[in-house]
Amino acid sequence: MDIALEVNGRTEELSIDPGVTLLDALRERLDITGPKKGCDRGQCGACTVHVGGRPVLSCLTLAATVTKPVATIESLADGEELHPVQQAFVDQDALQCGFCTSGQIMSAVAAVEQDVEDVREFMSGNLCRCSAYPNIVAAVEQVRQANATV
Amino acid sequence: MPGRLDAPLKVTGRAKYGVDNNFPGMVYGYVVLSTIANGEIEAIDGAAAKSAAGVIGVYSPFDPLVLGKASTPLLGETWVPLQSKEVTYYGQPIGFVVAETFEQARDAASLVQVTYQQRPARTSLADGLAEAEDAPASRGEDPALSILAEDVESIEDAFAASPVVVDQTYTTATQNHTAMEPHSAVAVWESGVMTIYSGNQGAYFQAMELAGALGLEQDAVHAVNPFVGGAFGGKGRTSTPAFLAAAAARALGRPVKASLTREQVFTATAGRAATVQRIALGAHRDGRLVALRHDSWCSTDMARSFVEPTSHGTSREWYATENLAISQKMVPLNIPPTTFMRAPGEASGSFALESAMDELAVALDLDPIELRLRNNSIAPPGKDLQWSSKHLDECFRIGADRFGWANRAKHGHTDGDWLVGMGMATAMFPALRFPATVEVTLRADETAEVATAGADPGTGLLTVLSLVGAESLDIPGERITPKLGDSALPPGGMSGGSTATASAGTAIMIAAAKVIDDLLAAASAPGAPFEGEEPTYADGRVHGNRGTMTFGEVLRALGRESLAAKGSSAPGEELTKHSFSSFGAQFAEVRVHRLTREARVSRMLGVFDAGRIINDQAARSQIKGGMIWGVSAALHEGLEIEANGRLANGDLAGYLIPVNADIPDVEVHFVEYPDTLHNAVGARGLGEISTVGMAAAVANAIHNATGIRVRDIPITIESLLD
Repeated sequence: MDIALEVNGRTEELSIDPGVTLLDALRERLDITGPKKGCDRGQCGACTVHVGGRPVLSCLTLAATVTKPVATIESLADGEELHPVQQAFVDQDALQCGFCTSGQIMSAVAAVEQDVEDVREFMSGNLCRCSAYPNIVAAVEQVRQANATV
Repeated sequence: MPGRLDAPLKVTGRAKYGVDNNFPGMVYGYVVLSTIANGEIEAIDGAAAKSAAGVIGVYSPFDPLVLGKASTPLLGETWVPLQSKEVTYYGQPIGFVVAETFEQARDAASLVQVTYQQRPARTSLADGLAEAEDAPASRGEDPALSILAEDVESIEDAFAASPVVVDQTYTTATQNHTAMEPHSAVAVWESGVMTIYSGNQGAYFQAMELAGALGLEQDAVHAVNPFVGGAFGGKGRTSTPAFLAAAAARALGRPVKASLTREQVFTATAGRAATVQRIALGAHRDGRLVALRHDSWCSTDMARSFVEPTSHGTSREWYATENLAISQKMVPLNIPPTTFMRAPGEASGSFALESAMDELAVALDLDPIELRLRNNSIAPPGKDLQWSSKHLDECFRIGADRFGWANRAKHGHTDGDWLVGMGMATAMFPALRFPATVEVTLRADETAEVATAGADPGTGLLTVLSLVGAESLDIPGERITPKLGDSALPPGGMSGGSTATASAGTAIMIAAAKVIDDLLAAASAPGAPFEGEEPTYADGRVHGNRGTMTFGEVLRALGRESLAAKGSSAPGEELTKHSFSSFGAQFAEVRVHRLTREARVSRMLGVFDAGRIINDQAARSQIKGGMIWGVSAALHEGLEIEANGRLANGDLAGYLIPVNADIPDVEVHFVEYPDTLHNAVGARGLGEISTVGMAAAVANAIHNATGIRVRDIPITIESLLD
């Protein structure tokens, strides 16, 4: 079937099987490989992207059902200028192997935007086997504190 | 201190892992797994799959992609898929379907019909103990050995003479590395060269294994792995998707991408063996050990691919004891292969030994730290070679102080509905090195390149190359270009065994010294700027009687673009002079709910003596991660193997690893004593030691909180019911 996806501000026309997930559409059709496939089952969060401004698991979302704009990790930085959450992940060393990081950051951006009460709970949909959890919490707190003092 | 050099690429999604590489004309492979645990494949009917939309290849042991033997000098031979009709575990790779799209390959794979001649499967470690086999030699020693004091006839006599004895059996679960990046690859065959993009712990070794399997010269295989999505020992060998993608790419003449699904990772790779360990400790009333006996059994696959050396990895070396007896047996089962997993031997072995030490402390009514101090060793039992640099007592002292150990009550304390306890444990992990070669290149533009094949699976090795390179060349880190994760670079640098910093770092220092010597020789040669002088090198500059020049200026004056030298290092003479290990003290505070019996770790501290720390931030991150692995082993992860060999919980919903909300703040402290007896850099490994001991510290804290001694991990709510 033919679909149109708005991804990172661009409209992309695709002719795909109805069974193609948003994750595979991004990675295998559009070469947008920041979102990762860690489980393909909605169990790890590595594929997290924003659809219509909300974090979703792109591996559990059929591409053909997506009508709102999609934003991936690739859309956050402004050229070489990192998004504050990206910068906080660098500052706090909130990553090791980096494979879960795209998803962690997309969830962390939502945690900051929604000003969530419990960061650890909110970030618990994103697994990190390197177990950078304490540093990930520190990164989210860094951005929240910076925002609070603005 | 600079941050992790590849962090900007990783936070922007620009870091390209294996399957992030897409090529025109690329096709997709999907692996088919066995659904029995023991037997022979009678037939595979691939007709429906072959005629499915988009399918261009269906391979099986009846119609195989031919693969030869794959091995490396470091690790020996590894298994290659699809070359035999024998099935020895449930979830063994037995087929490979290649199609134009991922979805087509997946759909067609489900159409492959397999019939088996099935045999009964042996899948239970407990049931197999009676038929256990002696393990092969471990760490250069017999599977069973004893070291007895003079005049002591047997270990039994030593226990008979011990005023206090504890004797208990402990078990640990089957585990999987569960790196977030599934084992996967993209293979491109072009002009007689196989390029493989696949996360792996050592590019050079992966190229060597693939060359063997494909019957190619090593330089006809180019392994590229600049980013590796976690490894932990599980990506030391070439993966099934990498072998099959490479063979299919050559057969089909098209780039092939293949990845295991998450569920397939649990069986089609290799994991950590389950263990059963009996430990007996005999002590004087003051706590000094009279006798230590540690008998170990572990599961292994039918190929007996790996033994988890729990006795040899812990009790063999940890404590001063007058008498010691250890043994290691293995129980071959119809289960997926076993292999190295973060602290193989030490992680599971320390749960048993450090739980037993806690039980002895209770029996003696002695503080657990005091008990360990009274059995502090200056050398492994029965060996003359003393520890090169051991500050474990300082780790205990600092740890006790920072953690508030003095506030620990003998039976814990309560906080509302929570029973709160503190536990601790010793951590040790041998300081090792692997052979490594590094090339250091000075460039006319004032930069320098530091390159080795290796891999950085999140350990921070890329940053270490830069830091040690900058220090060795006496120039700022910004002028160093580190290169890693490419088999075309100088060989070695396997990221495993907590060796990479010590191994590559030493090689960098040797290469840098060489390239500086070569630079000075060139600078003072006839016609060169420092002709006839004996110039010296400092601050990235050549200094002579006629002034100073940067190395770039010297190279430009000589009309040279660059000057390179290689340095190699390998374990050597130091092994005849000392014993080498990293040391640590682990502390945990655990809260158990009075009614629900839920156990939550509320505080953790690790104090480590790991030699010199090269990159403090990355070192702390890695240590925290390893400590959390210990919590995971204690409270979360364990594979459940059904009677027929199927994994009951082989996915990320059922195989529990900690999530963010499970983990409190983690404190890490280093006592820094550079160990230059081990290597010139003075760094020992720290990737694995952080996991060691933590599971016992958690279990010991639970005992302190509840009075319940749990000897089987993971600890579940059921095991904490009154």
